[in-house]
Amino acid sequence: MNNIMKNHANTLGAGLLQRVRISPWHLASYAILLALTVVYLGPLLIMVNTSFMTTREFMRDATSIPDELQFENFSEAWHKANFSQYMMNSLIYAGSATVIYVITAVFLSFPIARRYVRGWNTLFTLFVIALFLPPALIPQFQLILNLGLYNTRIGYILLLVTNPIGIIILVNSMKSIPRELDEAAAIDGCSYFRFVLTIIFPLARPAIATVVVLHAIGIWNELILATIYLTNQDYYPITRGMIVFQGVYGFNWPVLAAGIMIMALPMVILFLFLQRYIISGLTGGAVKG
Amino acid sequence: MRYPFGQQRQRWTPYLLLLPGMFFYVMVALGPSIATSFYSFTDARGISGAPVNWVGLDNYDEFLFQGQAAKDNLDHLKRTLYFCVAVSTVQFSLGLLVALLLTQGLPGTRFFRTLFFMPVILGVVIQGLIWTLFLYPLGGPVSEVLERLGMYSELLGGQDAFWWVIVVQIWSNMGITMMIFIAGLQSIPTEVTEAAQIDGANRWQNFAHVTWPMLTPSVNTNLLLNIIGSLQAWQLFLVLIGYRNGTQVLGYVIYAVGFGQTSGSVTTVFRQGYAAAASMVMFALVLVIGLSTQYILRRREERLLG
Amino acid sequence: MRRMHAFTLVFVLILSLVMGIQVQAQDNVTLRVLIHQHPPMVEYMENFSDAFTEKYPNIKIDLSVVNANDLSTVTQTRLTAEDVDIIDVFGFSNSVQPYMKGATPPNWQVMIESDLLLDLTGQSFLDYYDPVAIRDSGTYMDKVYEINLGRVIYSGIYYNKDMFAEFGVEVPTTWDELVAACDVFKGEGIGCMTQGGGDGWPIFVGAYGLLGSLFPDQAAYVEGLWTGDIKFNDEQSLVMWERMKVYAQDFMERGASGIPGDAAPGRFAAGAVAMYPAGSWRAAQIDAAEPDFEWGYFPWPGSDNVEDNQHWFGKYDMGWSIAASTPHPEEALLFLEEFSLPENYQAFIDAVEFIPTQPTAVLDSHLGEEIAPYLPNFLVGYEQYWVTPTGAGQWAFPYASFFEPFNEWGDPQELANRAQADLQTGLDNVSSD
Repeated sequence: MNNIMKNHANTLGAGLLQRVRISPWHLASYAILLALTVVYLGPLLIMVNTSFMTTREFMRDATSIPDELQFENFSEAWHKANFSQYMMNSLIYAGSATVIYVITAVFLSFPIARRYVRGWNTLFTLFVIALFLPPALIPQFQLILNLGLYNTRIGYILLLVTNPIGIIILVNSMKSIPRELDEAAAIDGCSYFRFVLTIIFPLARPAIATVVVLHAIGIWNELILATIYLTNQDYYPITRGMIVFQGVYGFNWPVLAAGIMIMALPMVILFLFLQRYIISGLTGGAVKG
Repeated sequence: MRYPFGQQRQRWTPYLLLLPGMFFYVMVALGPSIATSFYSFTDARGISGAPVNWVGLDNYDEFLFQGQAAKDNLDHLKRTLYFCVAVSTVQFSLGLLVALLLTQGLPGTRFFRTLFFMPVILGVVIQGLIWTLFLYPLGGPVSEVLERLGMYSELLGGQDAFWWVIVVQIWSNMGITMMIFIAGLQSIPTEVTEAAQIDGANRWQNFAHVTWPMLTPSVNTNLLLNIIGSLQAWQLFLVLIGYRNGTQVLGYVIYAVGFGQTSGSVTTVFRQGYAAAASMVMFALVLVIGLSTQYILRRREERLLG
Repeated sequence: MRRMHAFTLVFVLILSLVMGIQVQAQDNVTLRVLIHQHPPMVEYMENFSDAFTEKYPNIKIDLSVVNANDLSTVTQTRLTAEDVDIIDVFGFSNSVQPYMKGATPPNWQVMIESDLLLDLTGQSFLDYYDPVAIRDSGTYMDKVYEINLGRVIYSGIYYNKDMFAEFGVEVPTTWDELVAACDVFKGEGIGCMTQGGGDGWPIFVGAYGLLGSLFPDQAAYVEGLWTGDIKFNDEQSLVMWERMKVYAQDFMERGASGIPGDAAPGRFAAGAVAMYPAGSWRAAQIDAAEPDFEWGYFPWPGSDNVEDNQHWFGKYDMGWSIAASTPHPEEALLFLEEFSLPENYQAFIDAVEFIPTQPTAVLDSHLGEEIAPYLPNFLVGYEQYWVTPTGAGQWAFPYASFFEPFNEWGDPQELANRAQADLQTGLDNVSSD
């Protein structure tokens, strides 16, 4: 009897083994994950907790649980930090820059992936080396200045319509779209432009979604360029608004924490909805290096 | 490659359509980066109307050789390397470990994955502010715990500040490393690992001889991103501790010199030509380290995967 | 006949041109004004701008507010972009003196030499101001480029009057008395001093009074450091370093390194500590935190001699300059004129509590009372004179914040030697050019 059971256990796949027994590996895994969860969840929870305190409670004991939830912190932060305007600005910047970028990027990546342009390798390398380039803050500044685009929305957006990593992801993913589609479409009389627009865009959707999310998040959280180029408070994106807010409220942590939560919310929601795209995109593109 | 959409005039369409993207990239990123090298040979202040003169290698000479300031700059360089090594090794290892843990199909995997990736999407400002609160010296969680243990640390205000920035940097970016490794692990066919298991390999041997070599593409991507990213990262320093003697890294030095550092009401002079020279020094550093890393990784990849 | 036509034509043309200019002059003008974040001042400016537009309906004011730390950067970039008309500048300071070889001129000097600032010499509103103030803070090469609106003190120490009374402590007038006072408070379990170490600079600025009491002629101090007559590791400097160490380690409360600059006034007002070495501009924040709080302000007693401890050290704070590129110089000058009218200026002083630069204005507040006894002994401090020689190391400054726990130094002698070495390489570097 025992032999039969042992054989049974051995011949079944490893997956079943995992389900039937609680191995010490699993315990160890959970222990490690739990420790990490404390490190990751802790600071986040503290922020949430603080946003519901009153200033007095915070000064008395910064780690106590508030007696009642101070939702006023949020409305105060919303108004004092002028969030509605800054959020609108961030949306404008992220939205327009991402749209412009993605469209130009697809038309840039596809011919490189398919080698339809001479010098495709050089072009691709130009993007690969982007990681290594020296910081360009100072000449960029002179450029924007001489174009008369300083302290304008257009000038700022202009600085945000490139992203070499996205190109790399797109190129890698487009390589796996079958070449026969191109030829089939051409035989049907489809032009290159229409082909890319109506066939490639939908097919590359996972990679495009990844690139969209990464690019938009990058712009939403961008701080330095906004500091240098947008001096008119009406143009501030949410990052600038937050730093200025911190300058004034730096010691009033409850309200500041509430403001931070408001600022983080859109990104968290976006991420939770688009998780699978990011993961599948990273599977397809970045892994190939 | 054969282009199926027509010859002669139509052959130019792909070129034309890629022009906007290329134009933006060159004008906004590539061009200015190259222009930095020209600026580094001038004494540009960054104040319009101020005369800009060609000074040749003077900026480089000053940055690298003149007086104690140059020794301080070498310290900044060393510190940048230090930061890079500390962050990269821990971030890489932790990311790999977590990815391995989360590809076992354990219940709750998705929760953990989301949690660990969360800081990445929150951005530098929020990452910095979350930890400023967490490390609040007057009764914040970490200082409370330390007090219970009978210890005391100035946290972000004192000499440990540099270490804390390393911690926050790792915390903030481990998620990306983890995701890339998860993707890499998921692309390894299970039959391979199972076959090895049936052949009697234990967990460690399975990992070392089967999984690890097949992970090479993600290993390479992560190593490269980690190393170069941590060489160039400085914004967390800005948010967490500001510009403080003994903590500066090259990226921050460039920003401070080019756009001024204010303490109280005195702002240091803007010196953008000099900052450009410092940028080129950093570029050289990144290039050397990046290219050699690339080279080593490529060779290894060829050896392992053929 | 044709000549008549020609004349008429020309006449009509000229007439319409003249009328066009007239119409232009009455067109709506927007003045772009850039100021830094300081709640009482910003509030005053908003009210003032509204009142100004009421009086001159064709001139609108577009007020931009930036963090004080960003002010310099934003000013540079907006001037460069010709995107601002009136700017808020600190009093001109740190100019290159004859004994400073190879020093880089300060930003404002480059701005003037690049013709970015409008020459205000001879404007009528200058007469409202104290000529000494105009000369010291707004003049370059005998031309006026800024009207400075007031001085601030950064060398005083606020103290909690009730706490002092409760423990029978008198206002210290010498170093030993200060040490003794701190011992009393610490014995009672109360912190002696607090400051906003989280922002970095408040710690060493809080010790400028100590520096000044040991080297009262700060201009001479700076010159001495440059010429070598004064060294960071000579006898008097060593006294300074030793006392700075006591300040950083014994006086400052634990955890000060993490306190944000704007949180410190509140801590002091709440009674967490007995003293608060900070600038005169903090008075408004203390009052805002606790309106009924009884505080006083006394000069830093860093010396053993009572007479040395009777100065106020500070700087010329905010002032107005006009961008040379402004398309509306008339209106900009009108703005400054209106601002400088004594009744308006007095209201400004009441709001921000600067030490006035107009002789007719009076600082009529609790702060004014506290600083009055030593006001004739106001001196501009080291920070406004110092220019760093190129190549000097990063420790070449008399900063109390170099000591643990704020940074890495523990031994005053070692720091003194290192500071001098760092300074010396800079001096050697520039003298060899």
